[in-house]
Amino acid sequence: MAKRSSSSFLISPLSLPPQGRCFPLPVRPSLLFLPLLHHLSASPTSSRPHFEGFDAEEDEDFAPKADDIQSPPSDQSPKPASTSAFEYWDEDEFEGIPQNVISTPENEGVPESDGAGSESDPSPSSENLDKDPKSDVKFLKRLGSYSVEIACVSFLIVFTINYFTGKRENENLALAWASKFATKDSIFDKNFSLLGVGDTDDSPLLLQEGKNVFKFYASGRRFCSGLLATMELKSRHDLISRLYNMVVPCKDEITFEVYMNDDAMDQVVFALARKKLAKTMQKELRDLQRLAGLVNPPNGRKWVADELQIVAESKEVAGDLITDAVLEQVFGDKAFDKFGKGFISMHFSDQYLGSNKKMLVFKFALPDANHMADMTRLVALVPYYIDLIGRYKLSSHARSKTDAARTKIAQEIYRELQNARQEVLQKKKAEQRKKLEEAEAKLSAEALRKKEAKDRARQMKKAMPKMKMTRAH
Amino acid sequence: MASQSNDPRLPSAARPYKQPVVAPQDLPIDYSGFVAVIFGVFGAMFRYKVCSWLAIIFCAQSLANMRNIENDLKQISMAMM
Repeated sequence: MAKRSSSSFLISPLSLPPQGRCFPLPVRPSLLFLPLLHHLSASPTSSRPHFEGFDAEEDEDFAPKADDIQSPPSDQSPKPASTSAFEYWDEDEFEGIPQNVISTPENEGVPESDGAGSESDPSPSSENLDKDPKSDVKFLKRLGSYSVEIACVSFLIVFTINYFTGKRENENLALAWASKFATKDSIFDKNFSLLGVGDTDDSPLLLQEGKNVFKFYASGRRFCSGLLATMELKSRHDLISRLYNMVVPCKDEITFEVYMNDDAMDQVVFALARKKLAKTMQKELRDLQRLAGLVNPPNGRKWVADELQIVAESKEVAGDLITDAVLEQVFGDKAFDKFGKGFISMHFSDQYLGSNKKMLVFKFALPDANHMADMTRLVALVPYYIDLIGRYKLSSHARSKTDAARTKIAQEIYRELQNARQEVLQKKKAEQRKKLEEAEAKLSAEALRKKEAKDRARQMKKAMPKMKMTRAH
Repeated sequence: MASQSNDPRLPSAARPYKQPVVAPQDLPIDYSGFVAVIFGVFGAMFRYKVCSWLAIIFCAQSLANMRNIENDLKQISMAMM
């Protein structure tokens, strides 16, 4: 009896409540409905396991009662519905049910009275009454089947909260930098006549690009046409990359690109970074790769800290650009321990790839918003080197060497270009030849066919008279 | 002369900032949007609701990461489908 009712509830009434229950769940309109609808419209085989679980539990509720009702009239006639229900019987599903209930299949095999039909009809209503006390347990179970939805929606909520807090954090960091270095009487204000991305003085200092990239522009200084500082901050607004950064840490970086005037920079290729990075830079950046090599520290002179490596075109350039003042301020052994934490790399080149050939590129790591003063010395390197390089002139000996190197490179590039052009030409020629050959082949094929046809006709002609001749004979 | 060398500023040389124009095809690839589309397709094809939910989450990520609205909104609306 219990099984019969369970089977009858298996599909129809029980499959409805979840549907009714799920619709209040999605808070966002059209978007969130999609996956739910997918799931609900899915085949019943996928949804059945959940509902069978509920069945087992409901059976617990009213099964003893059903047992009470049916066991006294043991001489009832068998019901066809009940026999069909046995097919759904699964021992594992009804573990919690007392043994006598499980054994009911045998009891039911005994003929039941006609009254069983009338008795079985009220059972759903009585079951409904029984439902109420255990409804919260059921609710919890039903909640369990929506664990994916709950997890995803809560993740989305955390994601949106993090989006706003992370955005604020990044903005604060960028503003802290700007207020430290780009306001009145700060380093950049003293060095550049135009600050900010607009034309006028009260234009915004920073240009925000995306949620984690800020740009600062300055112009109006001797030796250079402009300076663009790009702050690439961590993607704090993005929860997924934030989690990823917990595994793979990264830094807030600021890159200064100084566009030097063409007449203000001699032929200098120079880079300075920590040893590992310097080696990769030497391999990967084309101008360093072609023109510069690793420079060993010279004897009998104060030099940069041991962690640092210089990549330069010649020893002379390296020696002239690493001045005593710089060693004392930042790159010397002692100073670098103190102030060099945020230093990543420095790259000066007159053969830079890009729109402007003569560039100074500085890369530093940003400290957090409260310790912006830590990078003051690093930022001070930027105007210092603009002036140093703007005034710098190579000696005639070095100059001839660099000239030779550059003409060599120019020749190489020219040769490469020519090679490429020639290749293109050759390809074109080959294609044309191919086309011609194909056309010829087509023509010749046609000609062959014609010739064959002619030949055949001729042979036929030849054969015909012979035939006649033979007939005539 | 001395004052000039002390003050490096040159207002006459100031050039206003020009934003470089980036063609839509040169934009960095929107990986999360791409992943969102893939998950969306999988979710619809195999009726895994987890896939569909992941698609929504990655869609939200690409929405959070977009740089300029005109270019990215197109792609995101594609991902929504």
